[in-house]
Amino acid sequence: MTTKRIENPIPELSQLSELIDSTSASTNPQAATTLQILHNLQHQHLWTSLQIHASPSNSTNSDSQESRPPLISGIPPNRVYTHPDEQLYMLEQGLREDDLRPERLVVIPTAQGQNWSLRRMAAVFDALDEITITTEDDEADLETRPPVEGDKAQKLEEYYQRREKANATLEWGSKRVLLGMVNKGMGGDGTVVYYIVQEGEVKPRQN
Amino acid sequence: MGNPTIPIPISYVSGKYLLFSIDAVTYLRREHHVCGVLIGTLPQIPQQNVFLGLPLELMPEEARLLVDKGVACIVDETKAHDGMKSLLEEDRRQYLRELESQGLNASRKLSDRKGQQREQVLKKLDEKAKAKAIKALENEGETDTPPTPSPSVLDEERSSSRSSNRTSGHTMAMGVTPTTSYPPLAQPTSSQHLPPPNVPLSYPLFAHLSSRGYFLSPGLRFGCQYVAYPGDPLRFHAHFLCVSAEWDEEIDLMTIVNGGRLGTGVKKGFLLADQKSPRLNLKLNEWKVCEHSVLSGQACEGACFCFRCHKTSRLPAVVARRLSLAAVKDTSGDALPCSI
Repeated sequence: MTTKRIENPIPELSQLSELIDSTSASTNPQAATTLQILHNLQHQHLWTSLQIHASPSNSTNSDSQESRPPLISGIPPNRVYTHPDEQLYMLEQGLREDDLRPERLVVIPTAQGQNWSLRRMAAVFDALDEITITTEDDEADLETRPPVEGDKAQKLEEYYQRREKANATLEWGSKRVLLGMVNKGMGGDGTVVYYIVQEGEVKPRQN
Repeated sequence: MGNPTIPIPISYVSGKYLLFSIDAVTYLRREHHVCGVLIGTLPQIPQQNVFLGLPLELMPEEARLLVDKGVACIVDETKAHDGMKSLLEEDRRQYLRELESQGLNASRKLSDRKGQQREQVLKKLDEKAKAKAIKALENEGETDTPPTPSPSVLDEERSSSRSSNRTSGHTMAMGVTPTTSYPPLAQPTSSQHLPPPNVPLSYPLFAHLSSRGYFLSPGLRFGCQYVAYPGDPLRFHAHFLCVSAEWDEEIDLMTIVNGGRLGTGVKKGFLLADQKSPRLNLKLNEWKVCEHSVLSGQACEGACFCFRCHKTSRLPAVVARRLSLAAVKDTSGDALPCSI
């Protein structure tokens, strides 16, 4: 009886591992998690103009709960969240989600097993106004979109005005971020799941 | 249905806060959005637990909220009933007479209704008989059928029986079982009230959501602390599964995953909120949704966060599977069987 030996060479490192190794992130687990989620957003969910907003430099103090983690922002190919009232308004106006200009969304990179507190979450929400966008892709992305016709352009304009008003009164929900969570550690398969996190009481969708 | 006298006495019986008056129950539900849970069964059929009745059990939070609002007071039922023994004989008789007159009233109403129904049925029968008789008369010319008794005779028989029944309608008083014992006993005075109920740490969240018009019910069914309905639970589906946490409490991300998944599965949002926090340096307008003042006028703000699951896979199933398997390879760096 002969046994067939299967050559089992050590496989090459994955693109993600190479990406993490190539940067200084390999020594910092939080930075590695951030990169992994960024990679996932870029290649699995096809987000564009992604950017990492590093945690503020004074975060080296002992109170790690107080500091906010690095954040990722980018533009998703499809709208991630539409408030039910907003959806109703859009239906009335005859607008579709694809008609709207793409919006930047912030993602909190986390890994399973991390502990979070409401204080830390609130710090992230506070930081949303402070983050600065440095990538120039936004403008470029706008230009590549086909121009809209007269009637629709007017309706879109109306919609944007309505949205500004709704943002002031928090009618269509308040600030929202995406919580990205990597399944890491023992037995973790590297899946990333995303959760919408909103500040305040925002009524649920009929999905 | 009359409005109950304020403050409504909430009966404290063996650690539970109960309401026995239907007027109070409907009033609190209507005006103060407090629903409680009906827990009473029929003594004869205790297995029947689909439609429960009085008494209504209140959560300690609900009882506390009503006491804080000045709508209700807590009464120790055992102590309050000590007065039953010292009731004067005259008062006792008077009370019994009152009950009997109530019973008489009820039985009279019942017999009236029965009489009406009976009359309606008889009228219908009469009409049928008349129609039959007319038909028979029409047919008489053609065929020899035995003559049916004329309708007038029937009418006479019926009317006589009817009148006899009406006169002999029994006027036995029905037994009335009052649900509260406050007519014979005097309303407990404010010195006899118990202190406000002890509440869990999540009470500020309860009070805050209640002040924003939500109806709250116990969260046992959805594994949370409270279920928040935007209107009466009989008319609306719940919006939130509420869980209260402390400002610095360590929350495992799995809690959020579980809450978010369950919430999305039942079309609700998972709401995680802190009860009381020292965040006074925040701009108020920024926290408009969250600010609430609780516990005897002490101002405190809270953060409310609402979690909803985001469906990530818009990709076809096979592609999604391949990607997640690729991720497997990514993290471990070791070789894993990666065949699809």
